[in-house]
Amino acid sequence: MNAYKTTIEYDDRSVRHFMVASITWGLVAMLAGVIAAFQLNFWEMNGKFLETVTFGLFKSEGLQYITFGRLRPLHTNAAIFAFVGNMMFAGIYYSTQRLCKCRTASDLLTKIHFWGWQAIIVLAAITLPAGLTRGKEYAELIWPINILVAVIWLTFAVNFFWTLRKRNEPSLYVALWFYIATIITVTMLYVVNHLSIPTSFTHSYPIFGGVQDALVQWWYGHNAVAFFLTTPILGIMYYFIPKSVNRPVYSYRLSIIHFWSLVFIYIWAGPHHLLNTALPKWLQVLGMFFSLMLWAPSWGGMLNGLLTLRGAWDKLRTDPVVKFLAVGVTFYGMSTFEGPLLSIRAINATSHYTDWTIGHVHSGTLGWNGFMAAGMFYWLAPRLWGTKLWSKDLANVHFWIGLVGILLYVASMWVSGISQTLMLNQLDESGTRVVNEFVDTAMAPSVWGMMLTRAIGGTLYLTGFILLAINIFKTARAGKPVNETREVYVERPDIQDRMSWRDAFRNDPITYTGWHLLFVILWFFLPPGADLMSLLGAGVMAFLAIRAFRRNKEGWVGWHERLLHNYLPFSVFVLIAVAIGGMVQIIPAVTVNRAKNVEDRLQTLYTPLELAGRDIYVSEGCYNCHSQMVRTLVPEVLRYGDYSRLGESIYDHPFQWGSKRTGPDLAREGGARSNDWHYKHLMNPRSLQGSTTKSRMPNYPWLAEEKIDFKALPKKIAVQTQLGVPYPAMTRDEIEQDAREQALAIAATLAEKGVEIPVEAGSPEEARDYLAERKMVALISYLQKLGAYDDVEPGSVPDNRPSPIMPDIPDDHKEQLTLSEAE
Amino acid sequence: MKNLNSKLTMPDSTSENDSHLVTPDELPEGVTLREHVYDGIQEYDQRLPNWWLFTFYGAIVWFVLFWFIYYQTPFLKSDRQKLETKLAVVDAKKSEEMEKVLASLDNEALRKMSQDASVVQKGKEIFSAKCVACHGADLSATLNGVPLPGLPLNDNVWKFGYEPMDVFNLVTNGSPDPTKGMIAWKAQLGATDILQVVSFVLKTNQEATGGAEPKLAPDSPKLQEPAAETPGAGDQ
Repeated sequence: MNAYKTTIEYDDRSVRHFMVASITWGLVAMLAGVIAAFQLNFWEMNGKFLETVTFGLFKSEGLQYITFGRLRPLHTNAAIFAFVGNMMFAGIYYSTQRLCKCRTASDLLTKIHFWGWQAIIVLAAITLPAGLTRGKEYAELIWPINILVAVIWLTFAVNFFWTLRKRNEPSLYVALWFYIATIITVTMLYVVNHLSIPTSFTHSYPIFGGVQDALVQWWYGHNAVAFFLTTPILGIMYYFIPKSVNRPVYSYRLSIIHFWSLVFIYIWAGPHHLLNTALPKWLQVLGMFFSLMLWAPSWGGMLNGLLTLRGAWDKLRTDPVVKFLAVGVTFYGMSTFEGPLLSIRAINATSHYTDWTIGHVHSGTLGWNGFMAAGMFYWLAPRLWGTKLWSKDLANVHFWIGLVGILLYVASMWVSGISQTLMLNQLDESGTRVVNEFVDTAMAPSVWGMMLTRAIGGTLYLTGFILLAINIFKTARAGKPVNETREVYVERPDIQDRMSWRDAFRNDPITYTGWHLLFVILWFFLPPGADLMSLLGAGVMAFLAIRAFRRNKEGWVGWHERLLHNYLPFSVFVLIAVAIGGMVQIIPAVTVNRAKNVEDRLQTLYTPLELAGRDIYVSEGCYNCHSQMVRTLVPEVLRYGDYSRLGESIYDHPFQWGSKRTGPDLAREGGARSNDWHYKHLMNPRSLQGSTTKSRMPNYPWLAEEKIDFKALPKKIAVQTQLGVPYPAMTRDEIEQDAREQALAIAATLAEKGVEIPVEAGSPEEARDYLAERKMVALISYLQKLGAYDDVEPGSVPDNRPSPIMPDIPDDHKEQLTLSEAE
Repeated sequence: MKNLNSKLTMPDSTSENDSHLVTPDELPEGVTLREHVYDGIQEYDQRLPNWWLFTFYGAIVWFVLFWFIYYQTPFLKSDRQKLETKLAVVDAKKSEEMEKVLASLDNEALRKMSQDASVVQKGKEIFSAKCVACHGADLSATLNGVPLPGLPLNDNVWKFGYEPMDVFNLVTNGSPDPTKGMIAWKAQLGATDILQVVSFVLKTNQEATGGAEPKLAPDSPKLQEPAAETPGAGDQ
């Protein structure tokens, strides 16, 4: 061991950059959110309001670039990747340098990281309003940007791990554990969920379809929340809370337990976004119960944050930083309690597809992410610019406005979500029919009024954030950029980064954990009888592990201590811990042959025109408001029709089950209304009489002007074929001709009814020929196809994806069990 | 192992908060303090709260029990079984209602009903909620002169038959091709509801046409297959 003193100049310039970027994009993200919220109350906010704002200079029935379907992805992407992303980088770069007692490894990589990330955000801000999207939530960006994200993220990863390698601090502090988990897991999630095959420079199809895509998407979506919005912020909490109150962290052993249980369990919880759907039951059960198991690990983080404040509660009155951090952690606790609650299938039946989920997410983003960000910024600004915070009072005003904003937001979404479900589920006296039209439930005061309250809450929150921007700006103006220079005492003990792989893997903790997990997984997948033996094995392993730990506590604790001195084996174990859950859920669902996923119904193939229409549906972001999934719940079947089967969306790349119903479900829309009804409804939902006059859906007049891209179809169908969709062999001309003929036929039904078109047409034939070229016709063809399927005998579907691994799916045993019971 | 707990003998020069460091003699009873300090951050090593541990263990035990009971025993029904059972009850009720209504229903009975003001009033309410979107509030199938998707019901021309039972069957089962015409309403409306709404249409049509002789539209499928005379309410 050698020890010496050295002087370090920290790279605080990049921290300032990330922080300013975060605040700037935060304002954009929140403004987009506020506009989107008002759009749900007033359809005019989809562009028509520009007429009023410009005193009639700008005529618009709706602006395609800011319809809710395009604005909402912009809002979510900006909030997650631009606002929280940059905030996380600011916090990570600041704290990692200090916790490693060394400057970030490479200034060049930091620069590439910063500017690359901002370039991605700008590209997102251009492409999303333009309707260029992959159609998967929080994974909307098109494939060239995906590649850029991957490159920039890896740049960050290299820079970070290189810094760890160069560190002058022998062991890793808990904040760094969470940063490591973030970097590793986000890489894994992002890559898998963005696997796609391009059809052009701006369009691609995800390689997974139907249920597989749903599973992968929510494995990603849920864990984007976990590893992009939670773990990095927990790391930031572990650094900035003890810093701001000058108190020791509450419990080191709680850090260990909650860290490992959190990163291991979180990954499994993804299917809780798909409860009561066509998703196989065993996945639903895993999703629900791992969410429940996640409650304690999440609260471990909250406890460690809040109990660190013990003895410093007085600062809560005087220091705005502590206020924000304490309330931020409290909201973390609240939303991680609500999360498991909403994962209980019975409760989820009420909450899912409603505003309740929206409220839940925002108690996390506004309360936890937003307030942690504010606390951190108020703490950092004086230090980064070598001065005092410009105005403590203004920060306090921000705190109260923000807090009232969040409470209004969250509470109104509870009321709105629950009351809408109650209205939707209300049956008549005979119990055979639902009584309320969808639009009437959405326009009821307890829903519409609550959504307006939400929009006001959001506006308050944005106002508070503007105050933060002013405060930080003034602080920066008052001071001068300071890069901290510090003389530190460096020690390099012999055990730092010297652990052999043998020492890492060959020890009691890893051996017992490994065997235990193996038995647990076998218990899920082995045939009856053998599975019980595995459960027994898992129990025995747990018992042996506890006994071994009791006998040799020193050894177990010592091994983990050594692990903390060795960043590489530590990171490998993190990777293993986060990989298991996804593998157990996704591999069986992807490799099990297609026939098993089909059940008794097989989706009818889309014709070329319908496929074009589907791409328009995705591009307009219809899935942001309309689901395509009739859940296995009685009121749902009575309202929308027969419950959805797995096979009915098997060829959907991407799946469109949706996550929120601002409008009704469309799974069984095909053939439910006439072509001209759809035309008129899309042109202006309020032009029809009856309940649709209350609709808040935007007008889509440009769909009757823009042309269908017939030329793109052959490539699209080629890619679909590559993905396993069994299209018959067709030449380019055949594909185009087929599409044009179908378009002409639909256009004829529209012209016959004399629908209004944007140009003067001398005769119905002229109108027909005009319409036959337009996107509207393709979209109508798709809508009329929704829910089309062929009955098939189970097992009769040819298996075009043979698999070497054939796991025993527990649901099959359940079926046999109940069958034998019935006999 | 020895080197693990090496103390920071010298504090870092400019660390802003050296003064706050907790020293072992300040510790409350039973609390351990880790010796290592990271950038001025210390760590206690307190015991895990018992309630927290029990929450964690409880969730795990519940999971194992549920999985065992669901997959190893026949006690819990699958979602599909539960749903199908409930839906069977609903379907039985629906067909029962339809049969009951149809048993005493013919053109004459329907005509009579269309003269009953209370039935017509109920029909009007349903019409306003479900039908105006396509047929218009005044049954003209236009809104401010612009045609709506439906066929006008205020003239004496009928595409799918003018007998009351023709109308009843059409509303119940929809037009032959719903992408070009009306959907089947039997999922959304009960037999009695349909009865009422048809009564309203018949009554209003009678008033609008002044009792003019009803006739079939030139493109009526009825003209192609004259044999198809008012069958029962069909595929229940």
